[in-house]
Amino acid sequence: MPRNVMKRLQLTTSIGLVSLVSACSPQQQTRDEGKLSILSQQQQGFATVSPQANLSFPRDHQAHEDYKVEWWYLTANLTTDSGEPLGLQWTQFRIALGTPFPPNEADLNPSQEYNTNLASEPAANSWQTQQLYMAHAAVTQPKQHVAAEKWSRGHPQIAGVSSTPLTIQLDNWRWQSQSEALFPATLEVQDQAFAYQLQLDSQSPLQLQGDAGYSIKTANGKVASYYYSQPFIDISGTMTLNGNTQKVHGKGWLDREWSSQFLTRSQQGWDWFALRLNDGSALMLFQLRGEKVFYSGRRMYADGRGENISHGDIMMQVRQWHETDQGRYPVNWRIAIASQNIDVTIEPLNVNSAMPLSTQYWEGPIEVRGSHQGNGYMELTGYEK
Amino acid sequence: MSNFLRLSWHCARVFAAHYRHAPLQAGGILLGVVLAVTLLVGVRATNDNAIRSYSESTELLSQRATGLLLAQQGDLDETWYFKLRQSQLQTPLAVVTGVLENSQGQRWEMHGSDLVAAMSQRQVSDTNKNSDGKQAQAPVNFNQLPLNRLLSGEPLLLMSQSLAKRAAPNGTLQLKQHDIRVLSVNDDLGLGNNIVADISFAQTLLGKTGRLSYIALFDPHPQLETLLQQALGEGYDQHLRLIKQDQGEALTALTQSFHLNLNAMSLLAFIVGLFIAYNGVRYSLLKRQTLLVKLLQQGVTRQALMAGLLTELLALVILGSCVGFVTGLQLSQWLQPLVALTLEQLYGAQLLPGQFQWRWLFQAIVLTLVAAGLACIPLYLQLSRQPLARSATRVALQSSAERQNRRLFILATVLLGCAAILLPFSNHYKQSLLLMGLVIVAIPMLLPLALQYSCQLLAKWSQTIRLSIEQRNLLHYSIAETRELIAPLSLAMMAMLLALCANIAMNTLVSSFDITLRQWLDNRLHADVYFRPALSDFPKLKQDFERHPQVNGIFEQWNARISFRDQPTNITTQDEYSLRNTTVLKEHLDDFWPAYLAGESILISEPLAIKQGINMGDKVAWDDVTGRWYQDLKPQMSKHIANGQNNTPRPLTVAGVFFDYGNPLGEIMIAEPLWHQLGHQAYLKSIAITTTADFTPLVEAVQAQYNLSSANVYSQGKIKDQAMKMFAKTFSITSVLNSLTLLVAAIGLFSAVVMLTQSRQAPLARLYALGVTRRQIRISVFGQMLLIIGLSAFVAIPTGYALSYLLIHKVTLQAFGWSIPMVWSWMECMKLMLIALATGTIAVSLPLYWQTRRPLVASLQQEAM
Repeated sequence: MPRNVMKRLQLTTSIGLVSLVSACSPQQQTRDEGKLSILSQQQQGFATVSPQANLSFPRDHQAHEDYKVEWWYLTANLTTDSGEPLGLQWTQFRIALGTPFPPNEADLNPSQEYNTNLASEPAANSWQTQQLYMAHAAVTQPKQHVAAEKWSRGHPQIAGVSSTPLTIQLDNWRWQSQSEALFPATLEVQDQAFAYQLQLDSQSPLQLQGDAGYSIKTANGKVASYYYSQPFIDISGTMTLNGNTQKVHGKGWLDREWSSQFLTRSQQGWDWFALRLNDGSALMLFQLRGEKVFYSGRRMYADGRGENISHGDIMMQVRQWHETDQGRYPVNWRIAIASQNIDVTIEPLNVNSAMPLSTQYWEGPIEVRGSHQGNGYMELTGYEK
Repeated sequence: MSNFLRLSWHCARVFAAHYRHAPLQAGGILLGVVLAVTLLVGVRATNDNAIRSYSESTELLSQRATGLLLAQQGDLDETWYFKLRQSQLQTPLAVVTGVLENSQGQRWEMHGSDLVAAMSQRQVSDTNKNSDGKQAQAPVNFNQLPLNRLLSGEPLLLMSQSLAKRAAPNGTLQLKQHDIRVLSVNDDLGLGNNIVADISFAQTLLGKTGRLSYIALFDPHPQLETLLQQALGEGYDQHLRLIKQDQGEALTALTQSFHLNLNAMSLLAFIVGLFIAYNGVRYSLLKRQTLLVKLLQQGVTRQALMAGLLTELLALVILGSCVGFVTGLQLSQWLQPLVALTLEQLYGAQLLPGQFQWRWLFQAIVLTLVAAGLACIPLYLQLSRQPLARSATRVALQSSAERQNRRLFILATVLLGCAAILLPFSNHYKQSLLLMGLVIVAIPMLLPLALQYSCQLLAKWSQTIRLSIEQRNLLHYSIAETRELIAPLSLAMMAMLLALCANIAMNTLVSSFDITLRQWLDNRLHADVYFRPALSDFPKLKQDFERHPQVNGIFEQWNARISFRDQPTNITTQDEYSLRNTTVLKEHLDDFWPAYLAGESILISEPLAIKQGINMGDKVAWDDVTGRWYQDLKPQMSKHIANGQNNTPRPLTVAGVFFDYGNPLGEIMIAEPLWHQLGHQAYLKSIAITTTADFTPLVEAVQAQYNLSSANVYSQGKIKDQAMKMFAKTFSITSVLNSLTLLVAAIGLFSAVVMLTQSRQAPLARLYALGVTRRQIRISVFGQMLLIIGLSAFVAIPTGYALSYLLIHKVTLQAFGWSIPMVWSWMECMKLMLIALATGTIAVSLPLYWQTRRPLVASLQQEAM
């Protein structure tokens, strides 16, 4: 799914390539060199995705530290008690700086000449880690869009993912399930500008994207990820913004994705859509922009059924651009899928939904009109100045 | 108007041509300007950079903290940090610090922090700044550091490039007997002189697994303390304390006197440099006197001549200032490590890498131009107004010089009189420094007339001695000529005198302080060994010492930091024995011990007394309710009464003032019972013992049993050694500047003497032609120069003494609060005299040597040229 791809590209500019270039002195590298190297380089030592996905739950809700990048990604289209629409986003990313410490190996120190007891035992010091976590959260209303970011090293007390019960945490931003399963769960996010506490539940089976969870990102299938979703989540809770706390309720969508392999240099950016249609179905769509545009999608139903949409069936057309401080974004779209009898227009709830964080992109709630009605989320990347 | 411009332009061109023929003259002026501006800019850059560092200082690789959370005692458990991370506070930063020694015994302070938390803080802040269009610091990009290696606990240290070049030229640093790889990072990241590591490695290396030194807080919330109480519950009040951070104001205030001293020294050097420049201008005008008259005779107006001279001055000042700016920046590069060390040792301030500012150049140009203008314009006016018919005779100049010398002497006497009258009334070091500036300006003004009278006396004396006619005539001639030389040499001599005085004063201060500090330390340190154990170990360690057969004395000292009149102040208590035997009192009330030991009075340190203007017998107050100290009792009491509170602040009498050197903070000493009543959040400063036998085995046993690093055990000798080292460092920067000033003066003297001897080739050749031997000429010339220099140096002794007195008993006392008995060193004086005489000798030898290599006729012709 392009969300994965997009994020990876974004990460390359901020942190993802740290491990790749660590052999160089800090002065030797530039941002551009780093970007290119990450795109063209194989991820030495990390696990790679293969078509035999064989995803298994609840195991795969946990972190996969042998893969380079991973995330837990929730978007929600909610309504306040006063009837005002709003969107919420919460994402926790995991980035591996190196391959995990080998178990039962005394010397994990890469500088071999230093074989003293100072760094001799694996995780002798709880701060030692190869995992970096980043989390983004945002609240979008028609007239306001606020976003926040957190970073942390992987540390059992601060940031990470644990299993019984399933907890995905970075500081005081926390997804807390009641069991090892994803749902029912609570999600708490608190920042200086906003906060939300949500109860999440879903009765629908998980949706495996692509080929049983193996999702390709290029036409030749060389780049892929493991990807599953839960598009049918019931949400209720409270949201505080500008000092006002309001009750909110609505629908949410969770994406889980992990991979190690990155993209080709020709790809410039991605447009990703998560649509909830009024016939009860959900539609995931993305396009990867480059020399050749690559489309992918899946129509999903609450009972677990789903249907992949092939590259040739998808038509996406920009209807309107919007200039922000960050870049010029295509915020208005026409999407047509003949095989699914879908022909809709996409309009944002708030055109100013750019995320002014260390990783920049546009992400916000949208409304669907045309052959189908509905709402959802849109993510646009690669348009930044 | 256009005629005026044309004529001025012609004049300027003529002067330029003159300098092409006599580059030495232009060189003399430029040298003065360059040296003056170099020292001015060098010190200015160093000072400005230090002050900028205080206001921009941040947690390393991160942002400025709004507060630091510390344990009441020693280190804090890292679980407090985890609790804070779960709270709604803006992401805090865990920091562990410690001092490590390398194999050469060099000490390094190491900072370990959660690098991801540190740098993400910087990113958040930069994002915010970008939105306002402002960005104070280079944002930290995670890519700049090999996070994978750092976070994995790999032994890896980060240093700024400039420090790494010095400290780890081969890429490793030895600490705790291990070679640890050093990664040098760009100086822009602001690591300064710190060694930084990720907390994962730092905790291991420092032996502090699970412990933190402090937690840096970044939350700008005004009620930070309330937030902390909410986040940490009761534990906060019981175990932790918050130190709020300011914007560098406290540090700026604390280091103010240090920077003022540097500035004063640089201004002194600037003045010395300007003397050289002025001397050069005068000399070149003297040489051009005929030329100027000729120009006037040819119809050049006086205004045009004046404009031409001013243009010349402007060009020389701008050129000299630009060169001086560049060399000044280079000088600052050399001075910065010295200043950084001093500030770090004395005040705990960290310096950021230097940045230069163009305004220093403009300020230098303006200042030099104003000073040079003030000095030269009267001279220009005098020369451009000379009658056309008048030939430029020396006699006229001589008589005008004598008049001027008298005027200078009178002005100097007036200035000295003013200073003498005002000095007893100055209460602040800035006022004293200003008055000292008057004295410094006045001293050289006394010199020309003093030299003149000395020569007259010498001439009279020479009449009385018996010599052959030939010798007597030569002696009379030499003395008469010496009087004539005073005028052209007087400026260089004035600069030399100034530098000598300043050096004598500074050396006296340093050596006096050295002796005072040693005596004070001898009195203060009575125990053999001092330990700084963890607070939890203290009771057991004390018990162990009590039982130990070799230990015959145990002494404790407790410390706490309080705010007294908004200044951070130490409050301390000691056992009675230590107190009675080691406190060196400057003054005290009669029979104050009973009241003091009963907790009714206090002792304060001399710096506190002087800086806060507290006198013996004054009352200060401790408020049980607010837990604060107050200096003024009455307003506090009335406030309490107004608030309807029954318990009034506890009044305490200042029973005495004790000497305290080298501590930048004020100190209050109270008796043990009062200490317990006040309930300050104290930490154990030290527990000390005296032993009956060699204490080495005992110390080793204690170190092993209590896991005490050598940094926490001090023998008496080690403390003295460290204190003296710190003292030496404190004054290293001033002595460097002093030597530079002396050097500038020596260069000035050298150039003046060279130019003068150069211009005297014709009269000397005439003497030779009249039959005076070369040997006699040489003796005569050396004699003249050494006489003038010797006389000037002689004047430097009483004036240097006077300056020393002012520096010690006024400026240092008021700026640092240290009273120091003045110790006069004749040896130092003699050394400086010798330097001055040696400079003069070398300066005379060179032109004399040149002269002997020239044909006699060429020297004789010089007159005509």
